[in-house]
Order: sequence, then structure tokens, then C-alpha cells
Amino acid sequence: MLEIAPLAVAGIDLATGTAAVNGMVSGLPVCIAPAAPLTRWSLRARDAGALSAAIGRALPDRIGVVIDGIARLGPDEWYALLPEGTVLPGGAGLPVSVVEVTARAVGFTVEGAGAVAALARGCPLDLAGFAPGRATRTVFETVEVQIWATAPETYHVEVWRSFAPWLWHSLAAGLALTAGLD
Amino acid sequence: MSGYRLARGGRIDRNRPVAFRFDGRDYSGFAGDTLASALVAGGVTLLGRSFKYHRPRGLLGMGAEEPNALVTVDRGPARITPNLRATQVALHDGLVASSQNRWPSLKFDVVALNDVFGALFPAGFYNKTFMWPRAAWEALYEPVIRRLAGLGESPVARDPDHYDATYAHCEVLVIGGGIAGIEAALDAAQTGGRVILIDDQDDLGGGALSDAALWPLLTDLKARLAGCANVTVLGRTTAFGYYHQNFIGAVESLTDHLAPAEATGPRERLWRIRAGEVVLAQGAIERPLVFDGNDVPGVMLASAGRTLALRHGVAVGRAVVVMAAHDSGWRDALAMAEAGVTIAAIIDIRDVVPGDLAEAARAAGIAVHTGCAITHVSGRHAVKGVTFAAAGTGPERHIACDAVLMAGGWTPSVHLWSHGKGSLAWSEAWGAYLPGTAIENCRAVGACAGAWSLGSGVITAVLPNRKPVRAQKAFVDFQNDVKARDIHLAVQEGMRSIEHIKRYTTNGMATDQGKTSNLNGLQIASTVLGRPVADIGLTTFRPPYTPQTFGALMGHHKDALFQPVRKSVIDDWATAQGAVFENVSNWRRARYFPRGGETMEAAVLRECAAVRNAVGMFDASTLGKIEVVGPDAAEFLNRMYTNPWKGLQPGRCRYGLLLREDGFIMDDGVSARIADDRFHLTTTTGGAARVLGMMEDYLQTEWSDLDVWLTSTTEQWAVIALQGPMARAVIAPLVEGIDLDGAAFPHMAGREGTIAGVPTRLFRVSFTGELGFEINVPAHEGRKVWDAVHAAGQAHGITAYGTETMHVLRAEKGFIIVGQDTDGTMTPADMGLDWAVGKKKPDFVGKRSLARPDMDAPGRKQFVGLLTEDAGELLEEGAQVVADPDAPIPMPMIGHVTSAYRSAAAGRTIALAVIADGRARIGQTVFIPMPGRVIRAKVTAPMFYDPEGSRLNA
Repeated sequence: MLEIAPLAVAGIDLATGTAAVNGMVSGLPVCIAPAAPLTRWSLRARDAGALSAAIGRALPDRIGVVIDGIARLGPDEWYALLPEGTVLPGGAGLPVSVVEVTARAVGFTVEGAGAVAALARGCPLDLAGFAPGRATRTVFETVEVQIWATAPETYHVEVWRSFAPWLWHSLAAGLALTAGLD
Repeated sequence: MSGYRLARGGRIDRNRPVAFRFDGRDYSGFAGDTLASALVAGGVTLLGRSFKYHRPRGLLGMGAEEPNALVTVDRGPARITPNLRATQVALHDGLVASSQNRWPSLKFDVVALNDVFGALFPAGFYNKTFMWPRAAWEALYEPVIRRLAGLGESPVARDPDHYDATYAHCEVLVIGGGIAGIEAALDAAQTGGRVILIDDQDDLGGGALSDAALWPLLTDLKARLAGCANVTVLGRTTAFGYYHQNFIGAVESLTDHLAPAEATGPRERLWRIRAGEVVLAQGAIERPLVFDGNDVPGVMLASAGRTLALRHGVAVGRAVVVMAAHDSGWRDALAMAEAGVTIAAIIDIRDVVPGDLAEAARAAGIAVHTGCAITHVSGRHAVKGVTFAAAGTGPERHIACDAVLMAGGWTPSVHLWSHGKGSLAWSEAWGAYLPGTAIENCRAVGACAGAWSLGSGVITAVLPNRKPVRAQKAFVDFQNDVKARDIHLAVQEGMRSIEHIKRYTTNGMATDQGKTSNLNGLQIASTVLGRPVADIGLTTFRPPYTPQTFGALMGHHKDALFQPVRKSVIDDWATAQGAVFENVSNWRRARYFPRGGETMEAAVLRECAAVRNAVGMFDASTLGKIEVVGPDAAEFLNRMYTNPWKGLQPGRCRYGLLLREDGFIMDDGVSARIADDRFHLTTTTGGAARVLGMMEDYLQTEWSDLDVWLTSTTEQWAVIALQGPMARAVIAPLVEGIDLDGAAFPHMAGREGTIAGVPTRLFRVSFTGELGFEINVPAHEGRKVWDAVHAAGQAHGITAYGTETMHVLRAEKGFIIVGQDTDGTMTPADMGLDWAVGKKKPDFVGKRSLARPDMDAPGRKQFVGLLTEDAGELLEEGAQVVADPDAPIPMPMIGHVTSAYRSAAAGRTIALAVIADGRARIGQTVFIPMPGRVIRAKVTAPMFYDPEGSRLNA
């Protein structure tokens, strides 16, 4: 008889890593690590100027670009990754939406010459031309993530809290799987 | 066929012998062999049994087109792969393979009796014969037919292998590593962009690997390729599908060519490639000729004979006859003769062949018979000889031989071109469809574009023969056992389109998708119908080009990584407490917390009693949450929800009911107004993404003028529901900045302050009918606050409860669960929720649909309670309800049970149901027929506890 595999609950034991993991993808070194604590804000407005004035910060004009920790994700959407302890004005009464989502997501750092290959295992974006200062919302397989290119060969990956264990292990599995193969 | 290894030649490494087993016998080949070439070298003729008639079959081709030589490769326990083409199985030391679809042995197969009685099994036989009795199809016919007409056996053990997957991007993707493909890749490399070259073989070169004259060129091209840093070559990789916008799926075989002991890492890798331009260089597949006996083992494609000789150093036989309709057969014969293979004769259906070929054949001492056709092949398990005749009908002559090579012309491989929706154009010269106009940024080069000189020939249907077609075993589709007579029969029975002929005969419907049979099938149909091929249509190729493993397609999604399991921040605590979990959408939630071997029933009764009598705590973190912010927030919610929202004061909560455009209930939840321009919405756990998507859809498409924005905050907040008469006492010492007094903080109010030192949005709401709070805190502080509340509650007998208890408590109060008590066809009135519909509101989503006459017509199902006459009887959720259990079957059903529980508070079982005109039936008895008995129940209002709501406002 066909052995029926235990259902996906096999994944219940996964926990997000707390220490850096080093390995190779496509023969290139990669390090995956939990990112330092940050505050997170979802920022929305029809008029970028109104939002900029409301929070007292400059905003990137182009979608997919980061200025001072704020990425423009869409025509009316920005996302801020700011140092711990930062508080943004709430914009009460203004035609803007400022919502703190610090606890909603966690961040990973993916770094090294193989970082693009590690991310490309599950992300359909062409990251080859994704220069530092770029950021976008995308997916890793079925899970929504944001990828921020923070420095050469260094990427910050944002993922919602409950998807983090799966994403961490998916990234780490890529290192283990392909280490020393290619 | 008695194949043998030639003394010299080929691209194999004769210094590296490789031992392997096939059907329990030991053989030896060389590095560079495929399983097929090594078996032919070992004198093996018989490689499989055909699908339907179980006829003995040998090799037909030497590549992806092979229909006959399907084998099972055994790489150890749980690593058994059926249905591999022996021509594509690379030989490695210790390889273990076996033939398929035969019993008890390949040589003696009892089901071959099908072949003896083959005349009784024409096309459509199964469809016609096994129609009756209907029930026997599933029970008897299908299992038996499947067993007899089978491919290899599916593996039953869990696959221990890992599979990798990746995306890749390039400016130019070249598919096919023959000379045309390599040249295209080199050209593309000049532009400086990223180039990927995919080839399915162990070695680049395609057809040139079987042409020694091209080897120097090949060596040079490969060296140039290796010098291009921007070219990635993926060998042993099959591009199996061409999808929209130049998206190509390919599978790279990583370890199957290695001995199991040497295989480390993933077995295969799925490549998902987005290319700026796709260059198809898939080459062409040689076409068999259709004649009586063309499937006797030893009859194969001329190109296969050539590949065996030139690439693998193997002679297909000691006396080889070539049956040609195309120049390439002559060239193959000449090349093989030069390599040391004895060519007994070349027979060509054409009266005239190019002079240079005829001259070369004569010079090589090969007998030539032009204007002739083979009319019979003798031998059953192997070719013993052929009979041929001038024009197929003249005096018959016989040649003893042990192999017959067919050269019926070439079919350009337009598989991926067709996946990509490129048009096809009929070419008379090729007797085949060639790429026409591309839809994608794609072009075809080399033989697959018809741009390669393979010589010329004539296109034949069935070779002429004195015997009528129905008396011939002239095969068209070798894998599905379709003969020329079957296509004749299909036409006789009225089929006119190739799509019908294909389905009636199953021609081209095997796993090889007719790589060697489609065009011959078309030609035969065209001849019988007397209409041009292009008028009969063409069948469509679909992915995959060749069968792929499920493992490769699954990629990373295996075992623990199969899919994300979402857990709340309280999950670790619940696990430590021994909670039993259930999955709710992607979340897993604690269902109940058994103590000391309690059953679910006992645990739930205890948890329910604790909430009603003292206090319980519940992890409600998975509830969907949306922050609605902006000056138009209230206006927006007023348009979305059925009830009015504009008048809700900051600091107050309201139950919201959300309909779809069709007026049926979609979701519900309690939401709080945090400020004039800020709301904290909640949705059901499973509905979170759906509700956000729907609201965003309305905002973007209908009301883009509104200044309001939606942010998912489901994961921002951990939510602890604290319910029961002692709830206030538990949190009182923990809360700062909020007056918890009942008057200052009434039911359906929301406040901001701190709890256990953590900022909180504290809502006084209840899904249990008890005094209750929902404590929202940032998720990363959730566990800390949970622990603090749990500790503070010890003095009050606090009890953690799970989703099952939550369900019972709300059912006692008649609170609905969307998706359990509703089924997508229930209106607010059906569910007794009219009170939540703003009668004076000018509009809200679904309002217009609610005005349709049938939405309040008599006979609609209404939400009611059910109390069984036997207080201990628990109804089954989903059970049908009837008014008269003695009514004749089919008995009219008036509704069904939606929820049923044992209630501690009611001291008996309770149930909720939707029943036609249910409210008018309150007090009446209805019946729930179950196997072997009928349960009687009384219809009640859907409210079993504290109907006045006095406890809520305590």
C-alpha cells in the first residue's frame, strides 16, 4: 500500500534561526542572518508631498527606490525601516495613512557573492540589476517578501512573522542542498 | 537483430568499462553509453512489450522520441523510477534496470494473447465493449485494463531524494545544443548579454555527435563556447514547457547519471527561466515508415542505427537492410558501412535517387533496390529477414537480415514552438509543419525551423503492399499500438478531423505525445479522406515535452517545507501545555488543552464551564485585522458593511457584516473606531486575505476618490481573548491608563493603555456571551502579556481554552461562524441578522441584490436551533433535515445541521441548523435520517444560554 506522508504539519517544528548560517549556493558563499531590530511603518497617501510633510521626512520619488530607510513600493505606498525607537507622527486628520507594523514582520540579511543565487531559488525577480538602494515587494515561492538591496551583495529580506520560519528554512535549505555541488 | 560492439569508433571511452544489470542479467558497456546502446551492444533485441497488444518491441529511436524502450531503473529502496526511455538513461556502474508491461517475463508474456486476437481489439474497442454494466467499469474493467495495458509500476515508498529549484534570467535562451543551437548561443554571446544554452544530452552536439565529419567543427564550437563567460550551458537538462512571456520550465538531471553511491545533493533541479529572446534549436525527429511488420524488434530508425554506430561504436546487426524514402537513409547507410557495419541492402520506394548516393552505395558494395517497398518482416522477437517487392506489388524477393532501418524523412520538432502559441505552416517539401509566425519573442533555427539540409525524399502514408491495410500489422503509433488499419477504421466510422481521429484511435496520445506518429497518422488520414493534410488539421503539443518527475515540479515544497504553517506567538506555550491543534486556513490553532488523558469531549466541557463560571483565556491572534486609516475611513466602511458606521464614536466597537455583491454573507467581525480617521477592523481567520482583497478592489476600482487606505495588521497584533465573570478582576492589576469600571468601559468599547507594561488596544467584546476583553498587543510582546495574564489569573482559576470550546460557547449564544453556519447562499435575514442591516443606508455592497424578490421569498433556509428529543444525542454536522421521514425516496430535504456540540451550560447537546422557513417551524419536530435510524429534534430559536444577555453587561 502507498504510504501516506504526514501532512504539512511536519513543518510545525520549524523555528526561525537566531544565529547566522553560512554556506554556498552555486559555488558562491552566502550568509543568512537575522536582521537587527527595526521599527516598521506602512505609509500610504495619494499625494507624496502630504505624506512627506506629515511625517517630516523625504520620500523617494521612484517606485522601487529607497531614501533614508523609506522605500516606495507603489504609486501610493511607502514602507519605512527605521532604527529601533523611531516614532513617526500619526498624521491625524490628514489625507495620509501612517500605520506602525513593527511587529508584523521580521527581517533577514542575505549576504555574499551567492546572495542573488540564494534568493533566485525562490524569487522570480531578476536581481542581477538590482543595485543597492533598490527595494521591492515580491515573493519567495508562495510567500510574500520585500527585498531591499542595502549594499553590494547584501540584501535585507522582510517577511511576515508567521511565514518567517518557513522562509528561514527554505533559504537555509538552499545552502545545505547545493553546498559544494556546483 | 544481433547487435555487437564495433572494433573501433564511437565517442565512448573504451578504457572505462561499466557493469550493469537488465532484467536480472549482467551486461557490460562503456562510459559514454546509454542503457540502450549498451544493451544493443550486448546483443539484446527485446526491450519492452507494447501497451495494448503486448507485442515484443525493440528500440525505435535513440533519443527523446523513443516510444518502445521504456524501462524501470532501480537505484535502491524507494528510488525506483518507471517509464524512463532507455535511450536517455546514461550508463553508470551498477545500474539496475528492468523491462515493463510483461508477465511473467519479457520473452514470454501471457497477455501477448491480445496480439493473437488483435483483430478483436480494434480502435474504440474499449469504449464500445466495456460500457455495460456501468458499475463494472470502476470495479472490474478499469483495474484489469490498467493492469494489463500499463506502463511501469508507480513507486509506492516515499521519495527520499531532494529536489532543487531556481529562477534564472537571461537575454537569450537557446534550447537545443546541436550545431545550430551552439552557433546561436555564440552569436548571442557577442552582444554581451546573459545567454543560457539548454541541452538534454550528456554531451553537447545533438545530431553532430553521430557524424564524425562534424566532430572537428564541434570541438571548435565547444571551445569557443567555453570561452564565453556570459554563456551558461545546462547539460542533461530538458526544457519541458514554454509558457507566456518567454517563461521556460526546464529540469536538470543532477545525479541520475551517477552511481547511487556517488550521488550527493539534490537529484534534479527545476529551472524557471525568463528569457528576453528564446531561440529554439530542437532539431528534427526522423519519421518511421508504415509497413507490415514495422514493429518487429530490430526495425528502427536509420538515424538510430547511425547514432549507435558513430556515437556509441555499436552495430545494430550483422546484416542491415535500409528501407528508405529519403536521402538521409542512404547517407546513414554509407556512414555506417564506413564505420564497419554490414549493410545488406538499401531499398528505396523512389524510382530515382540522387546519382551521387547511388554511386556511393555501389562503390561501397551495397545492393540497391529502388522503386521497391518492404512487404513483410519475418521474425517475432527479432528480425530474421524482409520480403520486398517492386512498388510493393511486384514479385516478392527475400533478404535475410537481422536489422531494418527506416528512413521516412524528418519531422522538425515544433513542440516548444507550439507551447509558445507560435503558428505553424505546412511544408510540402518536408511533409511536415514548420514554425510560422511567433507570438513570443522567439525564433527557430536549424532543423526545427526546416533550415537544415537533411536531403530530400518522398512523403509516404502506408508503403504499398499487395495485402490490404486491414490485414497488415503496420504500426503508426508504437507506444499506443495504433496501426494504419485503426486510422482507416476511424475514417470509415465518420471521423474527419485529426482531433477526432486522434481521440478515437489514441494515435499520438501516449506519453511520447506522438513524436514519431503524428505526421504518419496525418498522412494516412489525408490519403484515406482524399484531402490535403492541412485541411485535416493538426494536433496540439502541450507541456511537458517529455514526462518529468513530480519531485522536480515540487521543487522546494517537500516535507517540512511543503507549505508554510503559520503559528501565533502563543503557539510555543500551547505546545508546552500539551494542546491538541487544528489547521484553520494556513494557521494552526490550539483546539483544546486536555489534562491527564482527557478526551476532547471532557476537556471542552471543562473549558466551557471554566469560562462560564470563572474565566478563560484564548489565543485569538489569528483573527484577520485591517487598519483602515484616512479622512474617508468611516465613509468607506459605511459603504462596505451592511450597518451604519459614520455615527460610531471613537472608543466604541461595532459588529460588522460584510456581503458580497450578490447579497450573501461573506465575512463578519467586530471593529473598533480608534480615532475619527482610524479603525481597527477584524475579520475571520480564514477570511483575512479575501476581505482585504475585496476592500482593496472596491477602493481601487469603484471609489478611488476616497482618501482611505488599508493596511493588513493581522500579524502586528497578538490577541488574547479573556472571557468569563472574573475577566475584569484578572486584568485589573495589569492594566494602566484605562478605567475598567463597567460604566466607564462598557460592552463594545475600546480603549488604549498598557497591560503588563505593554501598549495595548483593549476591547471589551465577547464571542461567548460572558463579560470579556480582547487584549491586542504588538505580536513580539504577545507571549509576555499572555504569561502575565495567565499568572494573574491563577488566583481566579483561569483556564486556557481552544477553538473547540470557543465554538461551543458561541453556539450556546447562537453567534454564527461564517463558512460553517453559512454556506455562501445565506442572506442577513436568513441568519436572523436583519438588525445588522442599515435600512436607511442609501447603499452598501450587496444592498441591491437583497432587494431581489427571491432574497426574501418564502421557503428560504433560516438559521434555527435544534434540540434532539434525546438530550444525549449529538447530531452530525452536515446531516440533512426532513419534515417527513416516511416520504418516498428521494425524500424532500428541508435543511441541514450546521453545528452540533455537547453544551455544559445547557446540560445537554445543542445544534444549529438552516431549515426552510425555519423560524415558522419553531416548536415543531423535524427528523434527521441517519444510517439505520431517524433522529427526532425540536426546532428552537438559535439561543441556548442567557437569552437576555445579562452576563454580557456584568
